[in-house]
Amino acid sequence: MMRAIQFGHAAAALIVGLAAYGAPASPEASFQAAQKARATGDLTAALAGFETALALDPDNIRYGSEYRQAAIQAKEYERSLKFFEKLVADHPNSAKAHLNYGFAYVDKIPAAGSITQVILANTALTEFTRSIDISPSWIAYYTRGNSYLFWPKVFLRAPLGVADLEKAYGMQKAGPKRTYHVRVYISLGDGYWKTDNMDKARAIWTEGLREFPDNAQLKARLARNGDDLKTYIDNELDPNKRVDTNLQELWASE
Amino acid sequence: MSDGADTINTRRKGRITVALAVVTLAAVSVPAVIFAWTSSTEIRFVEQTDRAGLTHTHHTRLFRGKTGDVLHVFTSGGASVAIGDYDNDGFDDVFVTDSDIGRKCRLFHNNGNLTFTDVTAAAGVAGGNDQHSIVADAVWFDYDNDGREDLLVVRFGTPLLYHNEGHGKFKDVTASAGLNKFGNTIAAIAFDYDNDGYLDLLFGNYFQPADLLNLKTPHVLPNNLDNAINGGGVTLWHNTGKGSFVDATQQAGFDKHTGWTTDVGHGDFNNDGLQDVYLACDYGTDRIFFNNGNGTFREATEKAIGFDTKKGMNVDVADYDNDGWLDIYVTNITDEYMKECNMLWHNNGDGTFTDVSKETGTCATLWGWAAKFGDFDNDGWQDLFVVNGLRSAGKENYVSTLVNMIIQPGIDFSDLNNWPPVGNMTWSGFQKKKMFHNMGGQSFQEISSAAGVDNDRDGRGIGMADFDNDGRLDLYQTNVDQPSMFYRNVTERVGNWVQLKLIGTYANRDAIGARVKLTAGGLTQIREVNGGNGYAGQSMSRLHFGLGNASKVEAVEIHCREGQGIVSK
Repeated sequence: MMRAIQFGHAAAALIVGLAAYGAPASPEASFQAAQKARATGDLTAALAGFETALALDPDNIRYGSEYRQAAIQAKEYERSLKFFEKLVADHPNSAKAHLNYGFAYVDKIPAAGSITQVILANTALTEFTRSIDISPSWIAYYTRGNSYLFWPKVFLRAPLGVADLEKAYGMQKAGPKRTYHVRVYISLGDGYWKTDNMDKARAIWTEGLREFPDNAQLKARLARNGDDLKTYIDNELDPNKRVDTNLQELWASE
Repeated sequence: MSDGADTINTRRKGRITVALAVVTLAAVSVPAVIFAWTSSTEIRFVEQTDRAGLTHTHHTRLFRGKTGDVLHVFTSGGASVAIGDYDNDGFDDVFVTDSDIGRKCRLFHNNGNLTFTDVTAAAGVAGGNDQHSIVADAVWFDYDNDGREDLLVVRFGTPLLYHNEGHGKFKDVTASAGLNKFGNTIAAIAFDYDNDGYLDLLFGNYFQPADLLNLKTPHVLPNNLDNAINGGGVTLWHNTGKGSFVDATQQAGFDKHTGWTTDVGHGDFNNDGLQDVYLACDYGTDRIFFNNGNGTFREATEKAIGFDTKKGMNVDVADYDNDGWLDIYVTNITDEYMKECNMLWHNNGDGTFTDVSKETGTCATLWGWAAKFGDFDNDGWQDLFVVNGLRSAGKENYVSTLVNMIIQPGIDFSDLNNWPPVGNMTWSGFQKKKMFHNMGGQSFQEISSAAGVDNDRDGRGIGMADFDNDGRLDLYQTNVDQPSMFYRNVTERVGNWVQLKLIGTYANRDAIGARVKLTAGGLTQIREVNGGNGYAGQSMSRLHFGLGNASKVEAVEIHCREGQGIVSK
């Protein structure tokens, strides 16, 4: 009896302790706690919180995206990669986990040497492909298609990018219009440009501008020609510059 | 070039100056005809290789077996040139290397009229390419201070040291000099790091010291293509002053560096009167070492330049913006498939450097090799010539084949067998050379086409000298597996100029490491005598100053050793 009481006290103390540290009882609670920690600059706690949330809800694209942004902030690229590696091993059919895993490789690219960039970019493509194989989606096709465009022409990947982006284009045309759909207009045009199909590039950028009349990136492309346009797009597709892989537009638009 | 020596009186100051009055100004030349220089002067060169009698074709070593052509590419760096006046006739001569077995290096004597005579056989300096060794680079330096330039030839193997016996004859003294350590040396400089009056040697070693001609293991290539640590590092040879050298690498603090060194450069980067060292490394981080003044160096890479992952190829040192601090230029790879950008390290004067290559327009020179600063139009601002190109061959591109190897998970890059055969494929070939006109120290303008130097050969080294002593800097470009090119500077209406040949008396005879600060027309410029800065090339040791419109030199200071020995006129 005495022992049971003592155990009861210990259990109560543990519960109180967890509550005092804000221990979450759900993935969303973990996620919100991590967001708070990140807002206060406690990146260590934030990363741990995001990881807890993702472990409980691996297919949550938002959790993964916010986790990666915190990892970028903390320059914890290796930690992020290792975490997603384990996550997809534990949840091999989680399409969004594979997608975020691919993005984690992309996130590391600007911090890597030129050859390592190639390796990271290629591994990212592998994860994007797994995501598509599990569950084809607009975001997965757009992501992989856009990633192909970063490869220099000599590697002949731009046509693959165009094919993916055309799929994403077809998907978005079949559904309600979202603000992020402008990305496909931009990238598909870049893909056409990169495969020397200037007429189609201009056509898709023009169509995009009709749909999104205020888009500065579309305007900038349509205002340029020749070397000027090449310089502009090369700059946009510079692997040494950090690509914004924050996916918040997806849920902000819903 | 004036024949008469114009010795400048020294103003000695401080307790050290007695020992420091070591440099005499042997010749100060001013052109007989002074042209009116204008800022619109167009730099122009014409190629006169055959006419000058400087025809020479380099050949990379051929290796046997299925991995032979990969090794062939990895060792295709040995087309080098060393400029030096071996017979003290006032005209700079040319030594060029070859690399295939049995192929001869060549010594061309400058006849003084822009023609040259091949004197290799009489001089006895043709050798070096045998079953055990591959010639890679060469440096003229007077190791015994006898007033005659001796010749060092470094190899993938053991080096060769030729003593200049006078009368155009050289004697192989390698054995007695103690230069017996095997290394895959690709670059060398001569400098007096410990200020004992004798020139020491710093070797940049590419591969680890494995015998590439008799491989015991295929694991000889870089273990990482961005951060390799299995290269050859460097070797520092201390000159004993008795005709021999001893390995001082560890003692000096260089032994921790195990990168793939492609080039070594020296200069007084922090204006303390001591010669510091910059190492350009392939597959990873360049290194910078400051001289402690006691025979040791301290590495300052992290603070001074940070850690890079680029493919460093060249080190040249110059004060491009005339702010009184030596800057450093390093070529990397900036091609369609790899956007590294070169590094123009602007010296901040506080032991740190800032890369301003993008801001100055000197970032992109494709697959860069040698780069040399020189004032080609004598406007007082040093311009820049960069050679490039790895392998120009067939239509197929090796890069697209190579990437399939690179992306294989877990691939061992160090294993020769994992690299796809190169065959007749091109790899960063047919690249146009780059020449940059210095626009007042703030930016550079690319002018290679207008200047007539935009050839597309597979460049490696640059030898820069005023071969005809007309006050205009000429260029000799070596190319791998292709003929070299001699460019005569025919720029019209160049600015006025002064050239100084320094001769050490107590210091090393070549005065390597001495600094000249010259003021003319309100512009103060500095130059240092260097012992072979620049990949696969050694340039004229005379210091060349463009003066623009100034027809009078207002002040000359010559600093050496501790920076206290001031000579003024």
